[in-house]
Amino acid sequence: MSAAVAVLVFPGTNSEHETLRALHAVGLAAELVHWSRPEALGRFDAFVLPGGFAYEDRIRAGAVSAHDELMDPVIEAARAGKFVLGICNGAQILAEAALVPGTGPLRRPTAAFAPNENGRFESVHVHVKLNVAPARVPILAGIEADAVIPAWASHGDGRLVAPPDELERLERDGHIAFVYANADGLELVAPNGSALHCAALVNREGNVLAIMPHPERDAWTYQHLDASRDAARGDTRATLAPSGGIKLFEHFARAVRGGVPA
Amino acid sequence: MSATRTFAVSLTIPDNEAFTALETLGRLGIPVARVVRADIWLFDADADDAAGDLASAIASNETIHNPNKHRLAERESNRPPPGEVWIASRDEAPASLVAGRSIPGVRAIRRRTAWRLLDDSGRDVAPAALDRAVETFLCNPAFQVAIKT
Repeated sequence: MSAAVAVLVFPGTNSEHETLRALHAVGLAAELVHWSRPEALGRFDAFVLPGGFAYEDRIRAGAVSAHDELMDPVIEAARAGKFVLGICNGAQILAEAALVPGTGPLRRPTAAFAPNENGRFESVHVHVKLNVAPARVPILAGIEADAVIPAWASHGDGRLVAPPDELERLERDGHIAFVYANADGLELVAPNGSALHCAALVNREGNVLAIMPHPERDAWTYQHLDASRDAARGDTRATLAPSGGIKLFEHFARAVRGGVPA
Repeated sequence: MSATRTFAVSLTIPDNEAFTALETLGRLGIPVARVVRADIWLFDADADDAAGDLASAIASNETIHNPNKHRLAERESNRPPPGEVWIASRDEAPASLVAGRSIPGVRAIRRRTAWRLLDDSGRDVAPAALDRAVETFLCNPAFQVAIKT
């Protein structure tokens, strides 16, 4: 039996099809669920919140969606231990819903992906490195320690911000799941000024992950910004071959399948 | 010598953001009939600058004020009046430029978002309702601060 994954679509979401394609590529039975159909979410094994500008980022990025009816069953499922992955705007929604870092009451955020330090929208190719022990992220089953995943950072509000004591707690208790790094895994200053160079937050139980850069936009060789893309030029099969970002989805798929009878 | 001058810029066309806030506040069970929103701009400007010059420079700065859809009003105070809350970033660094351009006589610029919640009769909602709206939705205390009278 294939695990069913819901890809949530809010008004203004814009990365749902790329995300769906990456999930299909790793064998998950993923489908789009629009904001008007919260009742449809009950039958899914896991949830992915893709990138975009849900509700035009009105009030704050992710704030309106965090209170949307579509999030009620997702919050319930997350609390029951189901896997929830948020990418970019999806990560902002998870932070506003306080599912990550999950150190306070629901929908009372203790951290935020706030406007970038330079006040500008940044679109840049990045790598993110696993910053916690693999056991801390059961949502990425089988991921190797110090795994490095390529992705595209594409956001105006991606800077982790929290009060100093909360940042200390996030670092101490292993909530900083990924940090910005180079391709060799050397930690780098975040392009958005994110505290602790944070690229992704995970909750205490490790079943909810909020990652700012887009791994689904570096899931195929033609999207990957290094010599492999140049080498593949002219060779359709090589150009369309899976690239590094797909790894994140492979680990996610492994985690989701782990909870579904074969 | 400099003095702070405060301007509010609000929409004359329907404010979709305010409407979305109204919808969400309703979902949170906070009794509100209308939401009024404005961008607040605080300018630390040369005190000897002729009052009209700054107002005129701001009125003609299309990043701040588009006369086709905005209303511009100078406020008497650089604090919110009773019934209104201003949301600001905790770590905001005052800017000196707007869209890459300076405004003559202006040394520093700060921005806020003003929210006012009204009941069925057009009066401000009870302070407790405004507080609840701020705590549950309008302000993320991880990086924002709510400023009241």
